[in-house]
Amino acid sequence: MQKYSIFSLIKNAFSNHQNWEVAWKDPTPKKEYDVIIIGGGGHGLATAYYLAKEHKINNVAILEKGWIGGGNVGRNTTILRSNYMWDANGLFYEYGMKLWENLSQELNYNVMYSPRGIINLAHSDAQLNTYSRRGNSMRLNGIDAVMLNRNELKKMIPFADFSSSARFPIFGGLMQPRGGTARHDAVAWGYARQADSMGVDIIQHCEVTGFDIENGKVKGVQTSIGNIKAKKVGLCVAGNTSLLAEKLNMKLPIESHVLQACVSEPVKPFLDHVVTFGAGHFYCSQSDKGEMVMGGDLDGYNSYAQRGNLPTLQHVLSEGVAMFPNLSRLKMLRTWGGIMDMSMDGSPIIDKTHIDGVYLNCGWCYGGFKATPVSGWTFAYTIAKDQVHELNSKYRLNRFNTGHLIDEKGVGTKTWIG
Amino acid sequence: MLEIKCPYCGKRSQNEFSYGGDASLKRPQLEKEISDKDWDDFVYFRSNPRGKHSELWHHVAGCRQWFKVLRNTATHEIFKTAKINEEL
Amino acid sequence: MDQNFRIDKAGYINRNKKISFKFNGKKYFGYEGDTLASALLANGIHLVGRSFKYHRPRGFIGAGVDEPNAQVQLYKGAKTEPNAVATLVELVEGLEATSQNCWPSVSFDFGAINNLLNKFFPAGFYYKTFMWPKNFWYKIYEPIIRRAAGLGVAPLKPDPDRYEHIFEHCDLLVAGSGPSGLASALAAAKNGARVILAEDKSRFGGSLLTDEVTIGNKKGKDWADDTITQLKSMPNVIVKNRSQVFGYYDHNMLVMNERTKDHIKDPHKFTPRQKLWYIRAKEVIISTGSIERPLVFGNNDRPGIMLASAAKEYMKVYGVLVGKKPIIFTNNDSAYDTAIEFKKNGIDPLVIDVRANSESSAIKEAKNLNINIKFSHGVINTKGYLRVSSATIGKLNSNKSSYESLENVSCDCICVSGNWTPTVHLSSQSGNKLKFDEKTDAFIPSQSRQNETTVGSANGIFSLKQSLDEGFNKGYELSNKITGKNSKSTTPTSNEKKYGSHEKFWCMPLPKNKNYKRFVDFQNDVAVSDVELAVREGFRSIEHVKRYTTLGMATDQGKTSNLNGLQLVSNIEDKIVPEVGHTTFRPPYTPVTIGAIVGREVGKYYRPTRKSPMHLWHEKNNAVFVDAGLWLRPRYYKQGKETLFEASKREATNVRNNVGICDVTSLGKIDIKGPDTAEFLNRVYTNAWMKLPVGKARYGVMLREDGIVFDDGTTTRISENHFHMTTTTAQAVNVLAHLEYYLQVVWPELDVNVLSTTEQWAGVALAGPNSRNLLSKLFPEIDVSNESLPFMGYKEGSLFGVPARIFRISFSGELAYEINVESGYGIFMWEKIIELGKEMNLEPYGTEALSTLRIEMGHVAGSEIDGRVISSDLSLEGMLSKKKDFIGKRSLNREAFLNPNREKIVGVVPLDKKTMIPEGSYLVKDSNATLPNPKLGHISASCWSVEYNNPFSLAILKDGKKKIGEKLFALSPLKNKNIEVEIVSSHYVDPKGERVRS
Repeated sequence: MQKYSIFSLIKNAFSNHQNWEVAWKDPTPKKEYDVIIIGGGGHGLATAYYLAKEHKINNVAILEKGWIGGGNVGRNTTILRSNYMWDANGLFYEYGMKLWENLSQELNYNVMYSPRGIINLAHSDAQLNTYSRRGNSMRLNGIDAVMLNRNELKKMIPFADFSSSARFPIFGGLMQPRGGTARHDAVAWGYARQADSMGVDIIQHCEVTGFDIENGKVKGVQTSIGNIKAKKVGLCVAGNTSLLAEKLNMKLPIESHVLQACVSEPVKPFLDHVVTFGAGHFYCSQSDKGEMVMGGDLDGYNSYAQRGNLPTLQHVLSEGVAMFPNLSRLKMLRTWGGIMDMSMDGSPIIDKTHIDGVYLNCGWCYGGFKATPVSGWTFAYTIAKDQVHELNSKYRLNRFNTGHLIDEKGVGTKTWIG
Repeated sequence: MLEIKCPYCGKRSQNEFSYGGDASLKRPQLEKEISDKDWDDFVYFRSNPRGKHSELWHHVAGCRQWFKVLRNTATHEIFKTAKINEEL
Repeated sequence: MDQNFRIDKAGYINRNKKISFKFNGKKYFGYEGDTLASALLANGIHLVGRSFKYHRPRGFIGAGVDEPNAQVQLYKGAKTEPNAVATLVELVEGLEATSQNCWPSVSFDFGAINNLLNKFFPAGFYYKTFMWPKNFWYKIYEPIIRRAAGLGVAPLKPDPDRYEHIFEHCDLLVAGSGPSGLASALAAAKNGARVILAEDKSRFGGSLLTDEVTIGNKKGKDWADDTITQLKSMPNVIVKNRSQVFGYYDHNMLVMNERTKDHIKDPHKFTPRQKLWYIRAKEVIISTGSIERPLVFGNNDRPGIMLASAAKEYMKVYGVLVGKKPIIFTNNDSAYDTAIEFKKNGIDPLVIDVRANSESSAIKEAKNLNINIKFSHGVINTKGYLRVSSATIGKLNSNKSSYESLENVSCDCICVSGNWTPTVHLSSQSGNKLKFDEKTDAFIPSQSRQNETTVGSANGIFSLKQSLDEGFNKGYELSNKITGKNSKSTTPTSNEKKYGSHEKFWCMPLPKNKNYKRFVDFQNDVAVSDVELAVREGFRSIEHVKRYTTLGMATDQGKTSNLNGLQLVSNIEDKIVPEVGHTTFRPPYTPVTIGAIVGREVGKYYRPTRKSPMHLWHEKNNAVFVDAGLWLRPRYYKQGKETLFEASKREATNVRNNVGICDVTSLGKIDIKGPDTAEFLNRVYTNAWMKLPVGKARYGVMLREDGIVFDDGTTTRISENHFHMTTTTAQAVNVLAHLEYYLQVVWPELDVNVLSTTEQWAGVALAGPNSRNLLSKLFPEIDVSNESLPFMGYKEGSLFGVPARIFRISFSGELAYEINVESGYGIFMWEKIIELGKEMNLEPYGTEALSTLRIEMGHVAGSEIDGRVISSDLSLEGMLSKKKDFIGKRSLNREAFLNPNREKIVGVVPLDKKTMIPEGSYLVKDSNATLPNPKLGHISASCWSVEYNNPFSLAILKDGKKKIGEKLFALSPLKNKNIEVEIVSSHYVDPKGERVRS
């Protein structure tokens, strides 16, 4: 594989960039694989990469019904963080942060990990106390977190509404300095390129239509381009998980909901951090292109349509303008929607299933992007070893029977409120 | 923005309503023996179909009645709405 | 030098109204009716901006929404607007515009160094480098890249303007007022339909503004004007200009943005800047026209190179020549109209046509005017840094892969036409699956999914006669479907030129050994070589190409570039365009001001503010308020220079010693009536309700079906079949919906009705040892003795003539009462109580003192009932009835919930009896343990116990009851606190609950 660097870029400039190799091949599928990963999104690509790299399982295919990176990994607001209260979440995502920190070098692909700090604004003392509970939990788990008061915030984000006309004044905020952003497409492409170089077959435009199961063990999958045998099959299809699970006679504690995001036109950077609004559900950062990247609430009803409606955006942007009144005069350039696999406690599932050789990775709600490396890493472990790793030991499916739920927000099963 | 026909008030825009989830879930009867699995299925597990989905909506900024909606989750098309005691 | 490029007489501008404006600090003049673009062009200015990546000098490409280059910054300070498109900005006296993304000036920009180095910045270069050393990306490279990012500068002050929303219903919405749109609107309106006609531009008429046609023996423009006049006079029609339908959402909801202010010289201060229309239309006609495509050739981005249709529009609408030495470069006939227009204005154009020949009436007219036409030629490259000055043209060989001869031609503008792209954005947004139309070489609508119909050139129909026919027919058909009326209008006769077909050739090959940049996407500097590179590297899906190269992702969203990009990929991949597919069209059609989407929900009005009827009294008496959901509640009443801590201590102490009054109006109140109410409550609450006597209240806890505690409160039996429920402030809305759900959906057989009465009752709590004494003064006719009105008792009385409800319930743990009167009497009640309570040292207390009182009594509230605890965690397991079923009971059998070592609520006291334990601290065994330090529990609420005069906290602690008496550490790393504590009972004060019963 060609190594990417400033030197290779200069060298290739002199041959008018005619000699760059393909980032990944478009192979025709083999008859059989050791592992088939369904879903060429971030998690699927990462899983294949770590299977090859960490477990030396290279006879792997990723089957993608569309084009790789076309799902939520290419539709999110690129936020990375591990600012969770529950230990199960905090320790899992923190391991993910450590993977993020080295990812560009590891993949030899600039994923633009940018620890610009994520700030959760609080609008009352009570909210500050709730944030303290989370922040202290982070610190006791060895995760970075600091409390900021109103004056400190005024210096960092002076354009936020510190005026007397703010409906919900800013009292302070919780910050994770190492939180930040990464370039979403690059993550998918970087994993794809490395996985491909280690022998993983990336098969696009190949839709899985069924499973071959014999005596409770998986034998392969049926696809739009024919049957492919496999010893093990991993599901990484986010919002579409319930549809594949149905083919396995499984019902899951998941609902699919549409989440919208939008960007403004690019303007000269004025916002360095990722900031979330506490008197609503809104988050905002500014991309390296200058676009304000914004998101908020779900549209609020089951949906598989990758698009939403304007009232939700109106609601979300009103929160944005309440937080940063200067956003009002910017223009909204582009909106889009993604399908979220909302689990009933807001936390993911990475587990084996009742079918030998079939593994499940889902329930990411709207936090899947930041989990890409650690999700792939733990899922690869679970597939390779046929057992959960300590990091995903709390993310088992049976917690919905045992009651060991991990409800970070305390909203219960009304996923659409989440 | 969805336009939903409340069976009591007629067509209204979505912002008068709140969503109530899968209408096919039937709460088990009180005082009746039920297996752990059946109970957990009721509380947590969802069929989550792509396509026709019967669901509950609540006319919160209107008559405050709950009612049933048959809607396509892939296109958002609404086929039918009905009162709780009516068939969809 | 004033307006040297203005043509006498032509155009629809108002030459009687001269308007001055500033561009890059210099003063210029234009006329009313100009856009900033036309006024600048009238002054001979093409250079307006710099491109995003290479900082190349750029001028105008178009005359409307398709413009990728001409973005400017308007005004300064809070009113500033970045990325305003000069072709859309209407000229208004005092307008100030500056070029963006350049320093120190648009004509000399240091950023242009990127252009010299462009060899090293191909598509996606940033993915391949800036990786070493590791920390340099965030610390060095990215800051440099960010300094170069963005176009205009965002205001940093709040927006001084206001925006409004309008909701409208109609039978037919027509988007676009070109010939087909006007025809549709007229036909439908005459047939009785309620019609809204929306035109994005300030002028109606679309192509009729620029095309030499006649309709019904009138000039096209006159027919358009007459039709608009006619439509405006009809009561069933709303006609709107400056109004763009930018989004087509579910169930035929369309959203239109109307620009109402920026074009007015001295607007009224209450004039909204923009109005957002939510339009629910029974049917929609999409007559949004089409956009001309550029041709792709070497250095095709220089100022002075623009679309042929734009050049024509500047001449016909604004009376402006875009140049005096024009080259017209085309692959079709429509550009000949531009050449003819130049010629008519005394300018000799040179036409370069890639086709071998064409024999349409347009070409005949051009030939008759002796216009110089070079067939089988192409423009290969251009020169001129800040303005195009010459073009290299060449004769194409027979298969159009190379050139037979080259020559240089001097010019000051090149007007290009690569044929037309139907504007299918709204159709596509509606869910219409587009199909590729070979004739136009573009996508057009095919199968509708919602009630929409696309007509005219948006539907790939480029003849006027057909467009009018289609418009009149569809307008009639759709209106007939809705109104059932049969009044059909006949299509007027029309005259137009005949045009031949275009040649499917639009990207000029490079001559041997030449490496000219041929731009596809102008704003983002995406060239042919970038698309080729992307495909070479395996980015074959059109979505991959778009993301890798950023093609079509600029602020113009690829209106001029997407189709050329698609064609390019299909050529490289040797596929047909429909196989490559297209990227998704998403709203908005053009960028929409965020303020317009938000509307009036800004500042103080971001969300409603709920206030109790006693709010003004609180304000007058120095209350400091706290947000409790949407409610504003007094947190404390400040006396002198008191701090929150001092005031709340004083208020709480006064409750413990004397008597206090607290506004509890915000508590949720639900009126419940019906013969089955007791049975219903029995199912909703965890404890027993069947035997609650009339005149008694009871505390209850509700669970969710998953077993988690949902809410708590008291419910009082007012009469046999009438109950009054209270909820927490936070859950009031959710509890009501919860009750309605169970009554309507799950147990419709229960005869019970629920109704929120939160706002109907004003409520106060009277708490403290003197409260009974005070109550007796308020209700002298009532026996308020402990025997007659015991704890959890209820009576109705008359408060100086005002009917009142008296509940003997207590949140503070003191002898206490709550009194409710109808909201309108709230202030009367409050003032009366204050007046009569003076002699008993009555003081008002706020939520902070309330918290103190409940914490030291060990009463749970929102900080404990946080959506994650079960009853036993809160020591409320005694309230779980074993004899009956209730909501959530079945979930309590889960392994995790049955664990005997689960968390329990406990009390926590610092060993030094001085240090307040911050809320959100964690309890640990070893404060120096290595991380992650195992957490035993967390501090949910803290107060200064006024009873014992030392800090006290509540905590949810693992196996808490067994830990009472143990010493642990409370850690708050965020506040750098490490406090040694002792675990005590959560009922710190009056553990037996004697006071409430006294």
